[in-house]
Amino acid sequence: MGEEAKEEFEPKIIGFTCNWCTYAGADLAGTSRKKYPPNVRLIRLMCSGRLDPMFVLKVLLNGADAVFIGGCHPGECHYIKGNFYARRRIAAIRTILKEFGLDNRVRSEWCSASEGDKFARIMKEMAEDIKKLGPNPMRGKVL
Amino acid sequence: MKGTELKYEDLEGLFKGLLDKKAVDCLILPHRIGNNVAHMMVTDMDKIEPPVPAIFAPSFGVNAANIVKGWTIPEKVGIVAKPCEIRAAIELIKLKQMDNESVLLISVDCSGTFKNQDYADHYGEIGDWVESAKIEELKGKGVAIRESCEICDNRLADVGDIGIARVDGEKVLVVGITDKGVEALSAIEGISLEDKEIERKEEKEKIAADAKKKEEELPKISSVEELEEFLKDCIVCKNCRDMCPVCYCKECFFDQPLGNPVGGDLLNLAELRGAIGVPANQLMYHLTRVYHVSTTCVGCGACEDACPKDIPLTRFYPVIAKKVQEIFEYVPGKDVEEPLPFITYEEEELEDKLR
Repeated sequence: MGEEAKEEFEPKIIGFTCNWCTYAGADLAGTSRKKYPPNVRLIRLMCSGRLDPMFVLKVLLNGADAVFIGGCHPGECHYIKGNFYARRRIAAIRTILKEFGLDNRVRSEWCSASEGDKFARIMKEMAEDIKKLGPNPMRGKVL
Repeated sequence: MKGTELKYEDLEGLFKGLLDKKAVDCLILPHRIGNNVAHMMVTDMDKIEPPVPAIFAPSFGVNAANIVKGWTIPEKVGIVAKPCEIRAAIELIKLKQMDNESVLLISVDCSGTFKNQDYADHYGEIGDWVESAKIEELKGKGVAIRESCEICDNRLADVGDIGIARVDGEKVLVVGITDKGVEALSAIEGISLEDKEIERKEEKEKIAADAKKKEEELPKISSVEELEEFLKDCIVCKNCRDMCPVCYCKECFFDQPLGNPVGGDLLNLAELRGAIGVPANQLMYHLTRVYHVSTTCVGCGACEDACPKDIPLTRFYPVIAKKVQEIFEYVPGKDVEEPLPFITYEEEELEDKLR
């Protein structure tokens, strides 16, 4: 291990994205040939409000390095107010994770279907941030 | 607020009056069994025995709200209990696990409590009520109040429908806090209500300041490694869940195959990770539970008392829950009309907590 291993570290990011905005935004990033690091694995939800914070816990406890959550801009939810509830839940779970120094591994962004650029930029930023942060302390642990 | 000042011995008449005038169909209140204090449910007013001041006894066995969880029948139950128990009951009403119309919540002043077994063992020294000086003295002798009580800042009887506060000279102040409470009190014979105030701002602020100091002195769990160490003795018996007044799901996730894997499910989980700790989901269980009770935890410490492995769960559940309650500026059990944080929202909020 040591310096060399750290350089090779490729973070695994699990992204939960809303069908109506961020997922389509990711699609747009692809069709318009924007480049972004291949670290993220997207899971499509019908709304960010579908995100049970247990998903976040499970992802982190199973050793993924970070969680990304993408939803519609506040006020633009396809189901009127799903993302408002999601925002409260994410704030709560991040507050809990903050106690154990894990909050910087969870990031949520509002990203519409037309913001392919923004999606690519967030993915780039996140991959860089998590690379700097290093692997999830729970990776490989017997939990 | 409307209330009246009573002597200690009049409390018996008060509770009998509530049953007699059908303000409630039954009453749950603490009663004395030898050196110990436990709850009883009475329907026959003749069974209310003097001395009633057992209601103030600084002993905690089970959270009374847990006893009436699921009380959705029309018959009315009165609960005489400490503020944390009443606050838990209010949260249960908001969670639709109890019907507000069929409960009468009566809070009593609390001095901080001992585990009920500690209380019974040292009843001779503790008595029916302890002052803070006595608490310090007993602590020197190795008999300490529960950690959750040390960090509690809601010890005064100002929640529920009726509050019973202690005043100097073996007297109590009984005040109807809500209309329902005033109505129940005014039905009782021999009680005339006058304008009384049960809010004791100065005392409350002092308790809150002391509690904050004590909370800061508690050992912190500040990383995943420390959390693992903290929970290493956990056998996932889920007693903390069963004794928690505000943990209420009929079918807990951790009783289902995903949460409590057996046989093939367990093998699959092990294959996924190469090796897993068993009993499975120890960390996941506590982190999920702390999220589930994060807005409603009243900090009663029943989880810690219930832990057969003596894990000091007060350093985990109430401490972390309070952090979440702070971001929503929510105090659980304060007001039955205030919506739970997760079922409401503001259009512009919390943007700094998301990334």
